[in-house]
Amino acid sequence: MKRGLAGTAALLLGLLVLALVVLFPMWAVLSSSIKLPREIIHRIPTYFPKSFTLQHYQKLLATSDFPAYFGNSLVVALLSAAITVALATLAGYAFFRLEFRGRELIYRMVMVAYAFPSIVILIPIYLMFAKLGLIDTRTALVIVNVTFALPFSIWMMRTFFAALPHELEEAAAIDGASLFETARYVLVPLLGPGMASIAVFAFVSSWTEYLFASVLILSDAKRTIPVGLSGIIGQYQIDWGLLLAGASLSILPVVVFFAFVGRFFVSGLTEGAVK
Amino acid sequence: MSLKPTLLAGALALAGAFGAAPSYAQTEVKLWHMEQPPHRVARIQELIDAFNAANPDIKVVQEPQSWDQVYAKVPAAIAAGNPPDMLFAIPDFTTVVRKVDQLESVADFVKELDAEHGFVPAAVEPYSYDGGVWAVPLYNMALSLWYNKKMLDDAGVAPPKTWSEWKAAAQTLSKDGIVGVGLPANKQLYTDQTTYAVMVNNGASDLFNADGSIAFDNEKTVGAYDFYKDLYQYSSPDAANWTWGEAEACFSSETCAMILQFTVISTYDAQGGGDAANLGVAPVPHADDQADSSTIAYSNGVMFLSKDPAKREASKKFIRFLLQPDNYGKFLTMEPGLFLPVTKDGAAAGTFWSDPLVVKYKSQVEQMIKNADRGMLFGFTGGHVFPAIGAISAQNMLAETLQKVVINGSDAATAVKEGAAAMTEATK
Repeated sequence: MKRGLAGTAALLLGLLVLALVVLFPMWAVLSSSIKLPREIIHRIPTYFPKSFTLQHYQKLLATSDFPAYFGNSLVVALLSAAITVALATLAGYAFFRLEFRGRELIYRMVMVAYAFPSIVILIPIYLMFAKLGLIDTRTALVIVNVTFALPFSIWMMRTFFAALPHELEEAAAIDGASLFETARYVLVPLLGPGMASIAVFAFVSSWTEYLFASVLILSDAKRTIPVGLSGIIGQYQIDWGLLLAGASLSILPVVVFFAFVGRFFVSGLTEGAVK
Repeated sequence: MSLKPTLLAGALALAGAFGAAPSYAQTEVKLWHMEQPPHRVARIQELIDAFNAANPDIKVVQEPQSWDQVYAKVPAAIAAGNPPDMLFAIPDFTTVVRKVDQLESVADFVKELDAEHGFVPAAVEPYSYDGGVWAVPLYNMALSLWYNKKMLDDAGVAPPKTWSEWKAAAQTLSKDGIVGVGLPANKQLYTDQTTYAVMVNNGASDLFNADGSIAFDNEKTVGAYDFYKDLYQYSSPDAANWTWGEAEACFSSETCAMILQFTVISTYDAQGGGDAANLGVAPVPHADDQADSSTIAYSNGVMFLSKDPAKREASKKFIRFLLQPDNYGKFLTMEPGLFLPVTKDGAAAGTFWSDPLVVKYKSQVEQMIKNADRGMLFGFTGGHVFPAIGAISAQNMLAETLQKVVINGSDAATAVKEGAAAMTEATK
């Protein structure tokens, strides 16, 4: 059906509004991070900077532990994403390709992990980790992040496994492929979009996780960005330039990671289409 | 040939070989504080380094924490058996910690420090209850009325001293995009503080009766809430959700003519132009029938959580070091113009008054110290301290009541009655 002029205009307007809603806050943060302090808090906000300075970035990188927070967040988020993808794929295979007793019940119970608000299980988890000697370790954060990302990731995997016909694996087996070879050369390329989606989900969840990171980590050197940044800001006084510079730098890895994984996402789709 | 020289030479050689190794056991002491901004952490580290260098048998390490999480984190750490040895606290937090751990009173230590440095009595009082003293006061913070002198001068308005003057000033100043007075109004700590600052200036400072029952529901409290609501009409439309940072930004950008804050000095200096002559500070105005102004003041202190005698002694040694006037001045100026002295000799410390920001804003800092002298804290007044205040404070009940009055439009008398009932329930 051909779209009329009015329809096209409405569509463009809608897209413009959506783009503004998503992009304007990012622009406000990025552009303000290079303004002089006085301009940042000026009574009449400037949408395009009238001043230019990198002093907030210099201060952030030179006087705070932001680089350490950044490194910690990166390590924790990457490990959490990798482990979540591996476990969700294996669990997905088990749930959707293997026959075993209680499969449906266990599959449904996986989501019980989301039944309790995080704050309720915070103290029990703290005590458990204290007994295991995991308090103040990045390992603790990886375990928590994977635990919370995994159930939803397994559910996401269902859609992707459902789209794969059993015949593909049977054909590979007839051609003499081992289980590993079938997984490596048949399943993984076709599950690429699913794995990429899970990776993005797990990475972003870990990158932004605050509650557990603020309680399980004690020393400054092991803090992640959300917790470290909230400390840099302070309670009674806010250095807005520092906050904006920190916020600008902290969104970079998410954008880069999405761009990187997104490439595989598209590639996976294409390969799937050829199959 | 005597063996003695040979043995002596051998002993010396061994001593030389192992001379670098310490001949004493080192006691490590862990400090948790909530002064997280990098410059504060750096200043505390500077003092720790000086202490550790002078006391090689002790190693103090700091682990900065967040106020947002410390109320959950400390009980969890105590339960897990790995609490800090020293913990910075405010009065109501000591009641929370005492609930989850058997603490030893530091009354004798406070007495010893008082004899040497002379504590401001109002700083010790909130920590003195249940027959003990539960923290050593370290620094004070008091809410003041900050105003832009030029804006007031241009409008022909004098700094307000009474509520009627305050309202008239806010009304006159509220024009051409200027906000007469920036006040918050939602359920959070900043609103608790501004609300109590108004309450104490109407003689409604006591939340508890002498028998521990709630004294919140009274005419004076209702009057304070009514006045706050009346004044709020001259606040910014988006002010309800403000915390300290937004209020400071409003003031420093010359949008707000007046705000209630502990300090604005460092933000005003770094982000607001820094004209010291234009920065005014005064006591929070009082009700017309009250004789003088008062305010809300927080005496911050340090608690000793360690049960190990060696660690406790090492902690005391560190605090003795910190309260030496020279060190204390450096400690207070980790955030110049925010943290005020709680000892008499600390108030005269050269290192405090020689800080560049304190030099620049000397008259303002002097006024802040004067305002702090008449400071009070809810739940810690009238010579009675009831640990139940921890529950009231943790749930921001003063602010919750204010939100009902200002935002939800409830009648002040009804909201205060409901607030009193909620407080009674929370403290059961």
